[in-house]
Amino acid sequence: MKTIIRSTTCADRLLFLLLVLASCAGIFISREAVSQSSDVLIEVNGKAAYTFPLTTDRLVTVDGPCGPTVVEIRERKVHVREASCPNRLCLKEGWISKGVIVCLPNRIVVTVGGGSAGSPRGVDAVTG
Amino acid sequence: MQLQDKYRIALLSAYALSLHGFEALLPTPIPWLKLGLANIITLVALMLYGFKTAMTVTLIRVILASIFTGTFLGPSFMLSLGGGVSSTAAMGLAWAVSRHFFGPVGLSLIGALFHNAAQLALAYLVFIQRIEAIMIISPVIILIGAVTGLMNGVVGGLLIKNLSRE
Repeated sequence: MKTIIRSTTCADRLLFLLLVLASCAGIFISREAVSQSSDVLIEVNGKAAYTFPLTTDRLVTVDGPCGPTVVEIRERKVHVREASCPNRLCLKEGWISKGVIVCLPNRIVVTVGGGSAGSPRGVDAVTG
Repeated sequence: MQLQDKYRIALLSAYALSLHGFEALLPTPIPWLKLGLANIITLVALMLYGFKTAMTVTLIRVILASIFTGTFLGPSFMLSLGGGVSSTAAMGLAWAVSRHFFGPVGLSLIGALFHNAAQLALAYLVFIQRIEAIMIISPVIILIGAVTGLMNGVVGGLLIKNLSRE
């Protein structure tokens, strides 16, 4: 191991460090940049009711068959704050920054990320 | 071209081809993750026998491997060719410009970086055309490339040391 490390030149080590640091930074930067464009989509009864950007904090009251459900967007995260459905599973989902919260009795679906409702959801690409 | 050079190219191509084939059999956690073992041979060819030999070996390896696996002139062949040619060209350039600045590890890292960069650019231009997908995936690919490039460089360096001792 020592002889391997000694056999590398200064430029080798610098290049490796630079690559690792740059790509680690790139992972975070690209994640930030993309999550900025993600939206919160609220569907009631299978129809899109609201679309909000994830970046602005707000409180939304959505009316479903069982009564009002309050959805809160804060600090790039979404949760269901109050619900009038019987089992309140949507409350137990907690804060999400990506994914879906579903309230079956109230027929409300809150989707974060995945682009707008019309865009395809699935694998981006596979290369050989 | 001397007869000895032809033998050398044939031998190196055979090694590269078998490593390329062996690598395809290895199970990897992500389907598109490859170790780039054939780059070890390109590295050795470049540092011991020069740029022309390295480029010839890379071209023979890419074309023959795609013919054997049935992807000749297909999309994965284009990615493979673009990556191989650009990484060999970048390593050759770095080797020519600064002969004692980079060792085998540094050259291997440059090769891995340019291989990935060329493949990402090709994938964007030809296949995906969605910049956010490329932006998300490229730092991950370049990070993995740095790690595999480091390993290949270490192995290539040991190989060069042993070959030049004889």
